[in-house]
Amino acid sequence: MKFFEDESQNLRARFATIQIIVFALLAVLAGRLYFLQIVRGSYYAERAENQRIRLLPIPAPRGVIMDRYGRVIVDSRPIYNIILSREDVKGKDLSALVEPLSQGLNLDPEFLRERFEQMRTMPAFESVRIKENATPADIAWVEAHKLEFPELRVEQQPQRQYPPDGLLAHVLGYVGEISPKQLEDPKYKEKGYKPGDIIGQEGVEAVYDEYLRGRDGYRRVVVDSRGHIQAVLEEVPPQPGQDMVLTIDLDLQRAAEEQLKKMPTKRGVIIVMDPNNGEILAMASYPTFDPNLFSQRITTREGRAEYAALLRDPQHPLYNRAIRGRYPPGSTWKIPMAIAGLEQGAITVEHSRLLCGGGILIGNKFTRCMGNHGMPDLRTAIMKSCDGYFYRLGLKMGIDGIMRMVDELELNKRTGVDLPHELRSWTPSPEFKARFNPRDPQWKDIDTVYASFGQVYEFVTPLALLRAIAAIGVGGKLYTPHLLKEFRPVREMGPFPARPGKVYEQPAPKIVPIRPEHHKLVVDGMWAVVNDAGTAARIRMPGFDIAGKTGTAQVVSLGKDVGKNKDHSWFVSYAPAYKPEIAALALIENVGFGASYAAPAVRAIYDVYYEKTRGAPAPQLAMNR
Amino acid sequence: MMAAIFEKRRYRDFDWLLAILATGIVLFGTWQIYNAQPTANYWQKQLIGLAIALVTMLVVALTDYRKVVQYAPAFYIFGLLLLVIVLIPGIGLKINGQRCWIGVPGVGQFQPSEFVKIPTILMLARQFGKPRQGPLSWKEIAIGIAILALPVGLILLEPDAGSALTYFPLLAVVLFLSAIRLWIVIAALVLGLASVPTAYTIGVKTGFIKSYQQERIKVILDPENADRRGYGYHTWQSILTVGRGRVFGTWGETEYSQSRLKFLPEPHTDFIFAVTAETTGFVGSISLLIAYVLLLSRLFSNARRAPDRTGMLVIMGLIGGLAFQIFINIGMVLGLLPVIGVPLPLMSAGVSSVLATFIGIGFAISVRMRRFVN
Repeated sequence: MKFFEDESQNLRARFATIQIIVFALLAVLAGRLYFLQIVRGSYYAERAENQRIRLLPIPAPRGVIMDRYGRVIVDSRPIYNIILSREDVKGKDLSALVEPLSQGLNLDPEFLRERFEQMRTMPAFESVRIKENATPADIAWVEAHKLEFPELRVEQQPQRQYPPDGLLAHVLGYVGEISPKQLEDPKYKEKGYKPGDIIGQEGVEAVYDEYLRGRDGYRRVVVDSRGHIQAVLEEVPPQPGQDMVLTIDLDLQRAAEEQLKKMPTKRGVIIVMDPNNGEILAMASYPTFDPNLFSQRITTREGRAEYAALLRDPQHPLYNRAIRGRYPPGSTWKIPMAIAGLEQGAITVEHSRLLCGGGILIGNKFTRCMGNHGMPDLRTAIMKSCDGYFYRLGLKMGIDGIMRMVDELELNKRTGVDLPHELRSWTPSPEFKARFNPRDPQWKDIDTVYASFGQVYEFVTPLALLRAIAAIGVGGKLYTPHLLKEFRPVREMGPFPARPGKVYEQPAPKIVPIRPEHHKLVVDGMWAVVNDAGTAARIRMPGFDIAGKTGTAQVVSLGKDVGKNKDHSWFVSYAPAYKPEIAALALIENVGFGASYAAPAVRAIYDVYYEKTRGAPAPQLAMNR
Repeated sequence: MMAAIFEKRRYRDFDWLLAILATGIVLFGTWQIYNAQPTANYWQKQLIGLAIALVTMLVVALTDYRKVVQYAPAFYIFGLLLLVIVLIPGIGLKINGQRCWIGVPGVGQFQPSEFVKIPTILMLARQFGKPRQGPLSWKEIAIGIAILALPVGLILLEPDAGSALTYFPLLAVVLFLSAIRLWIVIAALVLGLASVPTAYTIGVKTGFIKSYQQERIKVILDPENADRRGYGYHTWQSILTVGRGRVFGTWGETEYSQSRLKFLPEPHTDFIFAVTAETTGFVGSISLLIAYVLLLSRLFSNARRAPDRTGMLVIMGLIGGLAFQIFINIGMVLGLLPVIGVPLPLMSAGVSSVLATFIGIGFAISVRMRRFVN
């Protein structure tokens, strides 16, 4: 080729130069390929793997909660939740999602904003539930807007189902998503809770969360770039939580709640307990609430409004009155006083007579009795609820004696019931007076008189009072009231080891020294309250001897105790009187005399109990007095 | 009739190696297109495109390139016309903001910017193909620039910067082989290298280079720390895809490949090399590189044996275009260069690109077949 040999143009060299450049560039590519695929291949392979493989938790169902006969009270049922995958919204402007999502899924925009704020501040959120219990319409909406909002997905999850009418609500409590604050609490941190976990927030759900909660399983899945699941590589099913058997007897519980519902104010407490071991058979506090609000509806607009209304409600429906209500015990206080008076030697079985006198004059202040009972013995004083008698008994015991009594019966302690937020009762002491009435801090005789009739210096929780009365009933054994009977075992599942059953272990009861003759005398008095001509004679059950004591706790001073400020009505009891099987207490707020409301409410409980245990309809009094 | 044209001598002189290499690469590419998008019909279209391309190549190869070069201005003007037509809304189809397709009823659509390279090469070869006397004059350089500037300007109006870029090596190679003074070459290189950072800075300041374009450049310099979810996404996913192939590739398990899971964008077109690297590993991708080296070597050999300067320049222009495009595309896939929408010749799905490349190869064969004729 002539033209090619033309040295004047350097053509050969120029041609070669182009050749060299072309092959050099290709060599660079080959070098880069070697680096990416051979030197760093496994690194990139791993990175690619990480972006396609995801672990999706399968939430475990919580253990079922049953009553003592195995009747299911709380269950979990599968529902659909709408999840927002965090991976897919990184770097997106979340505030732009608030409007369309709240409209499309009927969510509170404020709630969504909070959720997004949580996501922003807490990197641990893999994905966030934005709607629980999605309706078919919600699911259809998510499907229809897959292109617009690829970060949404629908997941199945077990959801807690509580009885719809608020039955046993205060005992059961409720579950809810772990809060950011709880996540930072070392108490929760140690147990390895993660964001988004549903945990027990109140009641036995909270106390026994560890046992009730299951172990979450997971699915290892392949996702595409939009987070849509392409394949499931591995599935580890969750291990359900341990089923819980409560000491509660649903029949008694229902009866108790019916009674409270029937009361004029619809406010009060009924507690039923086995005095021989502290098992709580019923615990009703009214008004009640629907725990499903917290487990199901709290994320919706309506649910949040409902919650706000509950918080504002002046009747405090969320409040478990049995352990958080502090009420003056009124005349029920006379039972501990009677036992302590005998044990401390202020009176004896033989010489128990004290003057009633229609009241007592201390200095220039006369404190009256409701009647004039002459010079009654202890049995009569209890039966007739003679205040004058107990003023004088209190003076004989002195404030030290009353304080010793409080200590012995642990009226100044928490009962140790397996529920959260139990309050301690207030009991008389010079210190309490000094704090309570700083203008007149000196303890005087008149204060001792006040301290002996349950109206001024004592504010007790219904459970603490019932516990003390029940202990007196069984001759001085102070058991810890409790709700747990047992946890059923769960068998081994996949990587999760078996979980053994657990029976409630009653700590050894505190022995309160009560001599048998003292015990008999006080029980005689309590028997007479119902079975002789006592204050609660109208609830007598022939063949089932109830021992009890009425109480009327003044809310305001005499004369103003009408309408809203009516007295609280008490009745504490156990039965049968000389061989107790069951102890029951009722406190009805602001209805008046103990005999007229609380005692009949307790009687209704005994009716149910009698029918259950005796296999016959409860005996009725021929003539209702 | 075919047989008549295809007489014995021509059968012997036909460049079988070049045709087989090119066809082999397209078939290999079709398999990768299938791997990338098995559910779509791109791979079938590619096979149809290959059939059309082979016939076209044969026709071009059997035509005397010198006659074609004679009519180069006509082809060139026709090409420019197509580039104007594509800009007319209604005829030119707008895809991803670029109006670079012409829809032909009943046939489909084609991309004029792919085809106009051929008349441009022919035009340049015609202009610079005459026996040379001494170094290139400024006037000649200006004519060369003008020949290039017309199609490049029209393509930039689409706007398709990637395609426009692939035209520059055509002129560069032709000028370099036409005794352009070395000092001009060196000056251009120095100026070019120096102007890149300067132009970049000015471009950023004046807003001519958009922020996404900046991101695409940043990701090259440091892919690990770049915005891997934003504009760095393509490069990062491409690197992962290539790396995932390791030595032997993933072969059977294409079901959860990067492209099937939609992590890798445009897997059948711009990022086809990443798919190849993932499925066939280093072994497969280096083999493909070797196939390109063989193809280019054969083209170099054909150029060296060309009967005249014109033939040599046609092939060298073709080499310049192909080599540049291969480097730009694979460099982008391997994270060496920013993302530019340039197809990988013979591999990427797209009938226009395959057809245009085969027409170019047809000319190279035509030149070789006439090496002993004067």
